[in-house]
Amino acid sequence: MSARRWSFSVCVLWLAALLSVAQAAASPRGADTLALAQGGVCCAHRQLDRRIHRGYEGWERLIPTHVKVQYAGGMGVVSAGVGWDYGRRCRWETEVMTGILPKAYSDRTHATFTVRQNYIPWSISLGSRIALEPFACGIYVNMISGEDYWVREPDRYPGDKYYGFTSRLRSYVYVGQRMTWLLRGDSALRGVTLYYELAANDLDIIAKCGNRSLALSEIVYFSFGVKLQIFR
Amino acid sequence: MRKRRLCYTVSVAVMLASCQVDFHPYDTRVEGDTGINARNIARIETATEGRREIRFAVISDTQRWYDETSDAVEALNGRDDLDFVVHAGDMADFGMKAEFERMRDILARLDVPYVAVIGNHDCLATGEELFEEMFGEVDFAFTAGNVRVVCLNTNALEFDRDKPVPDFGYIERQVLEFPAEAEKSVVVMHARPFTEQFDNNVARVFEYAVSNIPRLQFCVNGHNHTYMADDLFGDGVIYYGCENIAKRSYLLFTIDDDGYECEKVEF
Repeated sequence: MSARRWSFSVCVLWLAALLSVAQAAASPRGADTLALAQGGVCCAHRQLDRRIHRGYEGWERLIPTHVKVQYAGGMGVVSAGVGWDYGRRCRWETEVMTGILPKAYSDRTHATFTVRQNYIPWSISLGSRIALEPFACGIYVNMISGEDYWVREPDRYPGDKYYGFTSRLRSYVYVGQRMTWLLRGDSALRGVTLYYELAANDLDIIAKCGNRSLALSEIVYFSFGVKLQIFR
Repeated sequence: MRKRRLCYTVSVAVMLASCQVDFHPYDTRVEGDTGINARNIARIETATEGRREIRFAVISDTQRWYDETSDAVEALNGRDDLDFVVHAGDMADFGMKAEFERMRDILARLDVPYVAVIGNHDCLATGEELFEEMFGEVDFAFTAGNVRVVCLNTNALEFDRDKPVPDFGYIERQVLEFPAEAEKSVVVMHARPFTEQFDNNVARVFEYAVSNIPRLQFCVNGHNHTYMADDLFGDGVIYYGCENIAKRSYLLFTIDDDGYECEKVEF
């Protein structure tokens, strides 16, 4: 446990360090100052965030901009879905995903449905084809199928709030990082992004708030996935 | 640049190795110790064999109170006169796997063996499957010294007639197959009769059934989160209610040839 806790702290520190590097690097003033100090002119300024939002027009905005496949994260063993990126430099993403929790890991096979909102403030290009997104964060709500779970408590319980929580819906917050490979040409597949996330659910966060002995590493779970940028 | 990429790869690898994954909070793939009740019962029965005096502590309703449960474990470990500890149910608050695992890992630090009884919160979602995997059957019994301890699932509201709760067939078997080495008995349950969890249509039938277990001394329950000592049916059988762990207390029972004593100990 202590080893796990230690390595967890190292990871969190590393994430923070990468974040500060990204922040410094992404600052345009910093880049300009650097260019000027090197005797260059303003046009020598290297654009670090190359993300462009090539949005659709009209009804075509309904067409998803990417597909995603994720392992774990409280959404089943594997989940997949589609999403839309939008906003300046594609900083925002909204996704709908469906996952599967096989019988081997539960009382029977369950399906899960998830709605996600992601925010990816920075992208740093590392060479012409690779970009690092040093910090991603977001929230998601997951719903599981099955009669043992409820949103509203079954009628057999006295009062409206005998337990006062929903077992069917779980909300999560996460932070993570991503690495993107931009593909050549104008094929349907524009880029491949690998990402990982560290997520915690609402009930565990409540538990953490009331218990000093409950370590952060005990409520944070690792997940990873791939995002395929398509069509646009 | 290459160095940074290497660092990045290493950090991701470390993270992969260090972090747990979660398929779903209610998945049932238990990590770590399982079958705890059966193993601890064997330890209790061996350690107390032939004894005519036993002493055990009852804690209950530890759900989401990890700090207080850790303190309780420390307090109980500070005594050297205990034979075992009984958890009277509600180990998890929301029935999530991680809650059972965390509580199990805290209770594993007890110096003496413990057994866990199922509470109503432990039955939520896949909680019952998790409880059975981690601890064992929901109705069980063991003999400590000359005392038969019968632990019963009384959370009828959670089972919606899926299962007989309380299981009178099981209680009857306890009467018929009462072991020769036992001279008296104690009944432990989570929800006592006349609570909303109990099937109150059979409250008196339940009392009749358990009082047939030879020389029943008393009953212990959790659920109400308050200390209580009531003769619920006017037949001399006292039901002792154990406080939830947030109130920082446990019940201490000593049973010997002179009878029994119940003490509420604060920590």
